[in-house]
Amino acid sequence: MKAVIKHEISGRIRVHFKRSRFSFREADTLQYYLQSFPCIKKAEVYERTADAVVFFSGNRDEIIKILGDYDPERCDVPESFYESSSRELNATYFERIVVSIVWHYGKRLFLPMPVRIVLTCLNAVRYLWRGLKTVRSKKLKVELLDAAAIGASILVKDYATASSVMFLLGIGDTLEDWTHKKCTSDLARQMSLNIRRVWRTDGKNEVQVDADQIETGDFVVVRMGNIIPFDGVVKKGDALINQASMTGEAIPVRKAEGGSVFAGTVVEEGEITIRVTAVSGSGKYDKIVRMIEESEKLKSALESRAEGLADRLVPYTLAGAALTLLLSRNIMKAVSVLMVDFSCALKLAMPLSVLSAIREAGDYGITVKGGKFLEAVSEADVLVFDKTGTLTKAEPTVKDVISFNGEDKEELLREAACLEEHFPHSIANAVVKAALDKGLTHEELHTKVEYVVAHGISSSINGSRALIGSWHFIFEDEDVSIPEGKKELFDALPDEYSHLYYAKDGMLAAVILIEDPIREDARRVIRSLRERGIRHIVMMTGDSERTAKRIASEVGVDEYYAEVLPEDKAGFVEERKKTGSKVIMIGDGINDSPALSAADAGIAVDDGAEIARQIADITIGAEDLSRIVILKDLSDSLMKRIRSHYRTIVWFNSGLILFGLLGILPPSLSALLHNASTIALGLKSTTKLLERKQDR
Amino acid sequence: MGWSKFGIFLGGVLFGTAGIRILSSRDAKKVYTHCTAAALRAKDEIVDKATVLKENCEDIYEGAKQINEERAARDREAEIAESAEKA
Repeated sequence: MKAVIKHEISGRIRVHFKRSRFSFREADTLQYYLQSFPCIKKAEVYERTADAVVFFSGNRDEIIKILGDYDPERCDVPESFYESSSRELNATYFERIVVSIVWHYGKRLFLPMPVRIVLTCLNAVRYLWRGLKTVRSKKLKVELLDAAAIGASILVKDYATASSVMFLLGIGDTLEDWTHKKCTSDLARQMSLNIRRVWRTDGKNEVQVDADQIETGDFVVVRMGNIIPFDGVVKKGDALINQASMTGEAIPVRKAEGGSVFAGTVVEEGEITIRVTAVSGSGKYDKIVRMIEESEKLKSALESRAEGLADRLVPYTLAGAALTLLLSRNIMKAVSVLMVDFSCALKLAMPLSVLSAIREAGDYGITVKGGKFLEAVSEADVLVFDKTGTLTKAEPTVKDVISFNGEDKEELLREAACLEEHFPHSIANAVVKAALDKGLTHEELHTKVEYVVAHGISSSINGSRALIGSWHFIFEDEDVSIPEGKKELFDALPDEYSHLYYAKDGMLAAVILIEDPIREDARRVIRSLRERGIRHIVMMTGDSERTAKRIASEVGVDEYYAEVLPEDKAGFVEERKKTGSKVIMIGDGINDSPALSAADAGIAVDDGAEIARQIADITIGAEDLSRIVILKDLSDSLMKRIRSHYRTIVWFNSGLILFGLLGILPPSLSALLHNASTIALGLKSTTKLLERKQDR
Repeated sequence: MGWSKFGIFLGGVLFGTAGIRILSSRDAKKVYTHCTAAALRAKDEIVDKATVLKENCEDIYEGAKQINEERAARDREAEIAESAEKA
């Protein structure tokens, strides 16, 4: 497509395509195309002017070529990209703001005074009504103050002030609405694009395929801990399904043959085969958006304490105005006090700060679901780590297989992989990968596979009862015995590795040695976190005491607990909360879910089980642990900013009130200063909190 | 005089009968539709201009940032050259 360069500096080019404008879809296509090149760091497409801005690193000529080569016909863009694009949303709100600004100032130029007065009064009715409604709820809220301010100005015939107050409030509302919707949309996009591979079955065999390749009518198997990827009807099996993401119910619902299930819900227990009735890309994104909008969790989550501050000041302002009226009997002075309402400044600055911090976290690959959690992270003094996948690399590897029953190592590994491949646990993945590396493929040798959370898997292979799992599961729960003469071999098993026990028909068949290397930055991250004020760092793991002890000392945690069951993790979190501490929990597996919900801020690692990611309050990319440190810095900076803004707003506005009372400032000037400072502070709230220039 | 009052009354009657008919007739509706279309076009123009303004402001802002970065880099180089000389 032909384009012309409009502006250029090193590393940034703005071009204009020879069209009058793009439609939303065309603009999105171009955006997708541009973002697919690694040399392009950031691309922005303006649909109204058919312009594109490209930030790039590298060869300028390359970029020119990329731009010139753009051919929308040849682009293959997944439908889900269009669906989850927030372009139309942004366009709508941008338009609204521009129109309201132009209208407000244009009115003064074009409309005669009487007409303006009528319009102002009509508009005021809306705000007065809002204020009156809050009186009914018996709480003194910001809306009441706004109504008082507007009503009072109209009473004294100061229509200009009334109109500017309404204008500012209107802009504030629109901005808040916009950021709210944008937050929801970004969250939904991240949640909807995360389902990658699913198990398709034809009744006998299961094959893992990309979610994009499934069509209506296909059969998909969904097991415990996994998200149901598509809407469907249960054909076989039964399960307890957590439908919180659809209906908000916390209690799981049982679904059996013939029951309908929805995309985005999670199988908590059991296993089902579903016939797909609607494929991805057909409304899943919209469903998630609706779910988020309706979920109470998000609403109360966004109400971090900071945003409630505005309401607390309402009584003081009203009292101040009343006092002024009594003392000076001058309505103008009382009105000038009302004009300088702290609440509208706070109401603009606080939510903007919080929402902008959430967006900035997103830039670092951290998804935060609400302002409350950033608060919790900042105030936390206890941090609980799950060992596997968090402190250790998400990819443990199989070091060796020790045979205990005389069978060939590779056969045993093959069987183990066969059992382990269905479950979302990093150790299971290690076994599967090891088998794959050795070229050990298998047809499904087993029958129904049962997963006992945090313990192991039981099934039967060729008629024998096969078990694979932790020491606790195999020896204590299932009472497996070590074959004759192999006791020494057992005792000699090396300590440095985690042990995975595989038993058949009640006898230990093999021990798989798993190497679970600690992440290189684990030590450093823990030290950084301690420097930033987290006093107790605790590690919990289902692993054996020996391995846990070694890792704990290497990594430098304050306390560690081994052989922990999922309920214990949650119990520990609750206990600490009772003593007044704020607790952060970081985990990635199904067995971390109860603890993640119990913690003040539950953090899930991106690569972990889907149910953990759904329940968690914050999700972090798995690449490196230093994100946690960034998260802490971000939260601390946010809290500092909120406190500082609060102080600034209170002092500055109090000063304005004082000067107004003393007669130094006329009310129109104090109103102007108040408005200007409000906008300035509002804009400042949206700036970045962290100075770092990190490339993601 | 009585005539002006009568005139107002007559005006009212005319408005209530023929006036309303005219204002809500199909032809009038066409006029309204065209006016609204023009207003919407005006709105589009305005928002387009706002977008152009935004783009230009961003150009200026990014350009300014780059100037400052280059300055800072030159200053740093000068510092390093100085301390290298002293050593």
